[in-house]
Amino acid sequence: MSTDSTNRFGDSNAAQQRFLSLFLRSEREIFRYVAVLVPNVTDAEDIVQQTAMALWEKFDAYDPSQPFTPWACRFAVNKARQWIERRQRWQALLDHGLAEELAQRRQELQPEFEQRLKHLEGCLGKLPEGQRSVVEGYYYERASIQTLARRSGRSEAATYKMLQRIRHALLVCVGGQAKPEVA
Amino acid sequence: MKLLFPSPDFDDVVAAVCHGSATEAEMRALNELLRSNANARDEYLLRIELHARLAFDPDLFPQSDMAAMNADNRTNIVPPNLVVPPRKRRLVRVLALAACLMLIAGGTVFWFKWSTARNGGTSAAVAMLTRTVDARWSPKTHSLRVDSALEPGSLQLESGLAQVVFYSGARLVIEGPAELRLVSANEAVCISGRVLAGVPTPARGFRLRTSQLSVVDLGTSFGINASQSRTEVHVFKGKVELQPGKAGEQSLSEGQAALVQGSELPQLMAANPEAFAAMFEFQERSLASEALRYDQWRLSSAQLNRDPSLVLRFDFEDLSDQDWTLPNKAERNGPAEGGIIVGCQRAEGRWREKPALEFQSVNDRVRLDVPNEFRAMTLSVWVCLKGLDREFNSLFMSDGFDPGTVHWLIRRDGVLGLTVFGPHFGKFQILASPPVLSLENLGMWQHLAVVVDGRSQEVVHYVNGSPVSRHALKIGPPFRVGSAELGNWNARSGPNPEPSLIRNLSGSLDEFELFSRALSDAEIRELYLKGKPEL
Repeated sequence: MSTDSTNRFGDSNAAQQRFLSLFLRSEREIFRYVAVLVPNVTDAEDIVQQTAMALWEKFDAYDPSQPFTPWACRFAVNKARQWIERRQRWQALLDHGLAEELAQRRQELQPEFEQRLKHLEGCLGKLPEGQRSVVEGYYYERASIQTLARRSGRSEAATYKMLQRIRHALLVCVGGQAKPEVA
Repeated sequence: MKLLFPSPDFDDVVAAVCHGSATEAEMRALNELLRSNANARDEYLLRIELHARLAFDPDLFPQSDMAAMNADNRTNIVPPNLVVPPRKRRLVRVLALAACLMLIAGGTVFWFKWSTARNGGTSAAVAMLTRTVDARWSPKTHSLRVDSALEPGSLQLESGLAQVVFYSGARLVIEGPAELRLVSANEAVCISGRVLAGVPTPARGFRLRTSQLSVVDLGTSFGINASQSRTEVHVFKGKVELQPGKAGEQSLSEGQAALVQGSELPQLMAANPEAFAAMFEFQERSLASEALRYDQWRLSSAQLNRDPSLVLRFDFEDLSDQDWTLPNKAERNGPAEGGIIVGCQRAEGRWREKPALEFQSVNDRVRLDVPNEFRAMTLSVWVCLKGLDREFNSLFMSDGFDPGTVHWLIRRDGVLGLTVFGPHFGKFQILASPPVLSLENLGMWQHLAVVVDGRSQEVVHYVNGSPVSRHALKIGPPFRVGSAELGNWNARSGPNPEPSLIRNLSGSLDEFELFSRALSDAEIRELYLKGKPEL
């Protein structure tokens, strides 16, 4: 008794599920990919959101025998480009072929990054409580520097510096050979 | 401005880029440096990678939802309800995304299918025995277990108390000695004895008859004391309609009672709750003990969530009518995401307050994806079967027939089956228990588990904490799940699959676990004991 209309809903629902399932699995990698070009968190999130829309519009053209993430990353790079084109500051950062160069080099460094950063969770666990709450507040809770400063009783400048120092400590912890961040 | 590497300026500019506060001059200077200095470029990429992982990998901060809340409570800067924990934030984002997808798809807003038609009920049951205290049944009534499905027929309770819940929602407490005849989901006959009825609004119209009269309930609580020659009806709440054999109808309201003897007219009097005191107390006590059991389960759930080998766990606790995602409660969940609910209905779980997800139509399913590979795995589920409608009824099945994946199902004849697919297409092994589930189990909450052990090359099926069959496994690890479904199967065939490829479950689930190791007999037993509906 399935009518045409229920079939159509069924197909479209199935496609949405398939898409969401693939997208959610690739989402973190897409974020990291976008962050190479636009590291700022909220801007990167915007770009990934736009990427998701574009991916869904073109989902018909996706060949399921091919891996999803690289296909999605091609869209992400286009969306990032469009976003950058409208922002002079970011053009200054990525001009003269640097965008392509960074994307390419990251690809090559990927195995090394994986190797090192698999220790990241353990390193986070080793941070003293005060540092951990700052890094957690900033990245996990997405609290502003202002809020974090008020919470800890430090100045905003000191909180911002502290965050820089924590990232440095984490890099040293995961790999040992990070160049000193003399902050 | 010119940047050197390494230098404090370099550090500051990279930090500012991450924060989004770098000036155009700083960005230009960084651009020049990164294009000319390969070391600086690699170091920049490493720092960005660290920053991106911290920002977009919430798993790096286990149990931080709590920590964030506590921090806020401590300092009182932000009211706790204004902080949206990132995991929730992600869910909100995903929901927003899905909402947009639906708009793009041209108004496909029928994501949920609230179908009410049940396909192919196989049981004639009309009610369920939910609770007893010191119940002794007459030899004519088979010894009844709590959670037994009751078909139309006679129930003779010699002593003790028993609660029967009709599928319409009406609840009767019977005090022995009593004889009750079940007629339908909406009707019963009290031949003799005392019965206390609680009828929620959806079950209005429930009819309880005695030799003398018929009581039609209008959404109430009332008691009946019946014998061959006389019937007392006491109304404690709401209103009922009396339909005596010959005389006209009469309605009774709260606090009123009526006595009907032979063919006399009903004799009005005041309702007497004392006569039903034991039954009221039982009702209250059963509610309290049920709530207690549910609380105990929730406590052990929180411990289970911390098991490092737990890959995926659904407790179905957060179901709301609008929500179509099932969060993965495993705290060390690694790459396994939550599930996506398609269709299905919210139902009652092992305890009245516990939500469950009911599968009944061919579309109902939970989609999920587990990218891990396993040397061993354990699957565990609490299920309440409504029927075994299909040749194969899916519990948990990987899509298609991919190498290393598994299909866990119940055959129509009550056999538990696990199919493990070998490393090459076309090679597989079916590990089937003897028939262990029968129609008598329908409507009862049961714990099913299967252990796949790559090391000892063994598969064990369990029902309610006890092993029911052990099999030598000829296919070695790694085992996979990949894209899979709970309660259904995506055969990856065309739009009109042949009947053998339709494997939807008919029943409810209220707990599911996937572990990345082989649990021992004792551990499976413990899972069962911690989750079984009654102590």
